[in-house]
Amino acid sequence: MKSKKVLAIGAMALALLLSACSSSSDETSAEGDKAAFPTEDLTLNISWWGEQEAPGAQKWLEETIALYTKEHPNVTIKHVLQTTDGLIPSFEAAAAAQSGPDIQYFWGGIYTQQPGWDGHIAPISDYLSEEELSHYINAKVEAGFQGKVWTAPWYINPSFPLLVRKDILADNGLSVPTNWDELMKVCDVLSAKKITTIAGGVKDGWFGGWIYSILGGQSVQSQADVINAVVGTTKFTDPEHATWWTKLEESRDRKCWNDDINSLELYQAQQKFVDGTAAMTITAGPDAPNFAKKAGGDEKVTIMAMPAWSDGPLAGKMGTTSQTLGITKWSKYPQVAADFIKFSHTTDRLNAWYAATGSMPADDRFDISQVQSASTKALFESALNGAPYLENFIPAQLDADAVFKNVQLVLKGEVTAAEAAADKQAIMERLRKSDRKLVDNFTAWAK
Amino acid sequence: MKLASRKTATADVTRRQRSAHSSKEALYWIGPAALVILLIFGYSVVSVLISSFRYDGDWVGLENFEIVITDPIFLTALKHNGLLLLAVPVLIILAFILAVTLFETRRGMRFYRSAIFLPYILPIPVVAVVFGQIYQLNGALNIFLRSIGLEPLAQDWLGDPSIALGTMSSVIIWKEVGFGVILMLAHIISLPNETYEAARIDGAGFWRTHLSITRPAILNTIVFYGVIEAITMVSWVFNYVYVMSNGLGGPGNATMVSELYIYRAAFQNKAPELAAVAAVFLFVATLILMVAFFRIQRRSIAGTFNK
Repeated sequence: MKSKKVLAIGAMALALLLSACSSSSDETSAEGDKAAFPTEDLTLNISWWGEQEAPGAQKWLEETIALYTKEHPNVTIKHVLQTTDGLIPSFEAAAAAQSGPDIQYFWGGIYTQQPGWDGHIAPISDYLSEEELSHYINAKVEAGFQGKVWTAPWYINPSFPLLVRKDILADNGLSVPTNWDELMKVCDVLSAKKITTIAGGVKDGWFGGWIYSILGGQSVQSQADVINAVVGTTKFTDPEHATWWTKLEESRDRKCWNDDINSLELYQAQQKFVDGTAAMTITAGPDAPNFAKKAGGDEKVTIMAMPAWSDGPLAGKMGTTSQTLGITKWSKYPQVAADFIKFSHTTDRLNAWYAATGSMPADDRFDISQVQSASTKALFESALNGAPYLENFIPAQLDADAVFKNVQLVLKGEVTAAEAAADKQAIMERLRKSDRKLVDNFTAWAK
Repeated sequence: MKLASRKTATADVTRRQRSAHSSKEALYWIGPAALVILLIFGYSVVSVLISSFRYDGDWVGLENFEIVITDPIFLTALKHNGLLLLAVPVLIILAFILAVTLFETRRGMRFYRSAIFLPYILPIPVVAVVFGQIYQLNGALNIFLRSIGLEPLAQDWLGDPSIALGTMSSVIIWKEVGFGVILMLAHIISLPNETYEAARIDGAGFWRTHLSITRPAILNTIVFYGVIEAITMVSWVFNYVYVMSNGLGGPGNATMVSELYIYRAAFQNKAPELAAVAAVFLFVATLILMVAFFRIQRRSIAGTFNK
C-alpha cells in the first residue's frame, strides 16, 4: 500500500516536472513574414510612453492613428500609455508571454539593444528601406546592431538640458554660468540667500542617471570608453569614469541642490523651477521648451548644456538620444506596424508632432526653420550635433543598482565619491558574472 | 475479563473500520480541490525550482544559487526582512493594548473600532502614496513638528538611508494593527463575563485582569496574528516598498526587501533564473514560519485541553 502511494506521488511529481520542463523549453517563434499588405480586418496594439516628457504626444498619436486608419479602413489601432516605472516591466511580462503589443516604445541605446538581444523585437530594418531609415536621427548609433537597426527613432530627447532662470540670477547679481567653477560660485551665492540653485529629485532614481550622463560624459572620449568599462577592458574606478563623482560631491558640498532632493521625485522637484523657488533645473529635452515657456519664455530662461568641468571632447555638449518605436517579435502584422511607423514620419506628421509637443521629431526631414523660439531652436541644433548619451550605453541594471543608488547616497553624504566609484565597479563585475551574455552582447554592439 | 478484552478488541476494529471509511470519504470530498491546488501550486513550485537551476534553458547546477547568495543586495534584502520581523512584537503589543482598551470602552466602541480597522482596509498603494508625501523632508509631518518648535525631530524620513526602513515599518504597523485589534477583540468579547466579574470581585485591576485572564485566554489568537504578521513581514511587504521607494528599495538599498529583489530580477533585470533562486529562499522561509505556526498552535491547543 505504502509503495503504491509512493509510486503515485512519484508519478505526479514526474508529471509536474515534465510539464514544467516542456513549458520552459517551449519557444514561440514569431518570425514576421513579409507578405503583401493585409486586406483583412486587423488590430494593432501600441504600448507607449512619452506623454510624461512630451506633453501633447497622446493627442498627436490619436490624431495619427485616426489619419492612418482612415487611409487603411481594415486597420484598427489601440494604444496604451504606460507609466515611467511600468514601461519596462509591462513589456517584459508581455515578452515572457510572447503576446501583447505589436508596437512597443523603447528608450534609446541599451533599452533598445537588450530586447533585440533577447529576441523580443524584429529589426525595423527588415521592414523599412535603408533610405527611409537614413533620415531617422540616432538610428544607427543607438539602435544599430551588426548591420541591422532594431527600432525606429520617434522623437529626439536632447539629454539633458540645464534650464536657467536669468531673472533669478540677475536679481541676485549673477549671470549665467559658462563653466563649472562659475556654476559653483552661483551655488555659493544663492545658497547663502537660501535659494535653491538646481532643483532635482532622486527618489525615483531617474535623475541619477541623467546626472551621470551630463557630468560623467565630460571626461570620456566617446561611448566606446563606457562600453570598454562594461566589458572589463577598463574600470569604472579609472579617472575618466570616476572623476565625475567628485564633481557631484562638490556640488553637494557647495549646496547646489534643494535640501529635499532625496525625498522628492524628479517631476515634483522640477516644479520648484516653474514656481520660481529654484534658479535652475534639468529637464527631459522634449519638455524643456514647455518648461521654459511656463517660467517666462526666452526672456527669462536660457536652455543650455551642463557647464563644462573638464576639457574633454564631449564637455559642454548637449547629449542626444532618440526615443524609439519597435515591432515586437510576436506581432502578426509587422509590415503594417512598420507602415504605420513610416506614416508617422511623413512631413505632415513631423510638423504636427512639433506643433503638438513643442519637441523635435527624430527625422532630419523636419524643417527646423519653423521653430520660432531662439532657445528651442538652439536646443534642437545642439541635439542634432550632440554627444552620445552615456546612460544608454551601460546595462540598465548597472544604472539602477549602481548609478541611481550611489547618486542618492553621495547627495545624502552617506558615501564618498571614491566609494561610489568602487561600488559601481564591484556591481559591474558582479553583473558580468550573473548576466553571462553581457560581455558578448556589448562587444558585438561596439563593433 | 476475556469478554471485556474481546469487546474492547471488537470496538477497536469497528473504530478502525469507521476511521478508514471516514478517511476514504474525506478523501473523496477534498480530492478534487486538493488536486486543483496541487496542480496550480505544485506546478508553480516545481517550475520555479527548475528555473533556479537553469540559465537560458541550460542546466547550470548551483551556479545561480551561488550568484544570489553572494549578492550583497540580496543579503541586504534578507536582513531587512529580518529587521521587519522586529515589528511583529510591536504589532502584537499594540493590538493587544488597543483591543483590551476598546473592550473596556463603554461609549463609542463601534466608532473607535471602525477607526482602528479603517487603515487595514485601505489599499496599500493609496496608503503608501499618502505617507510618501507626509514623510517628505518638507512634508506635513515635518511642517507640523517645526510649527510646534520640534525642529530637531524633523527628519528626512524616507530620504535618509539610516531611518528609511524604520519609517516604512511605521506605516506597515499603522496599517496592520487594525487586523490584530479586530481579531483579539472578537475573541475577548466571546470570553465568559463571569471570569472578569470574579476577577473584579477579587480586586484585580485593569492590567492584572487582562494580563492574567485575557492574555492566556486569547493566546491562540495572539499566536495566529503573530504568525500571519511574520509572514507579512517576510513575504508581503512588496506593495509598501514598491510604492514608497518608487520600485528602487532606496535610498541606496535602505528599504530593499526580498520580494522587491525578486520582482526586479524577474521584470527589470531580465534574470528570471536569479528571481527563481530568491523565490526558493523566500518560499522556504515562509514554509518554516508556517510549520512553526502549526506546531505552536497544536501545542497550545493540546495545552488548553490538558488544562
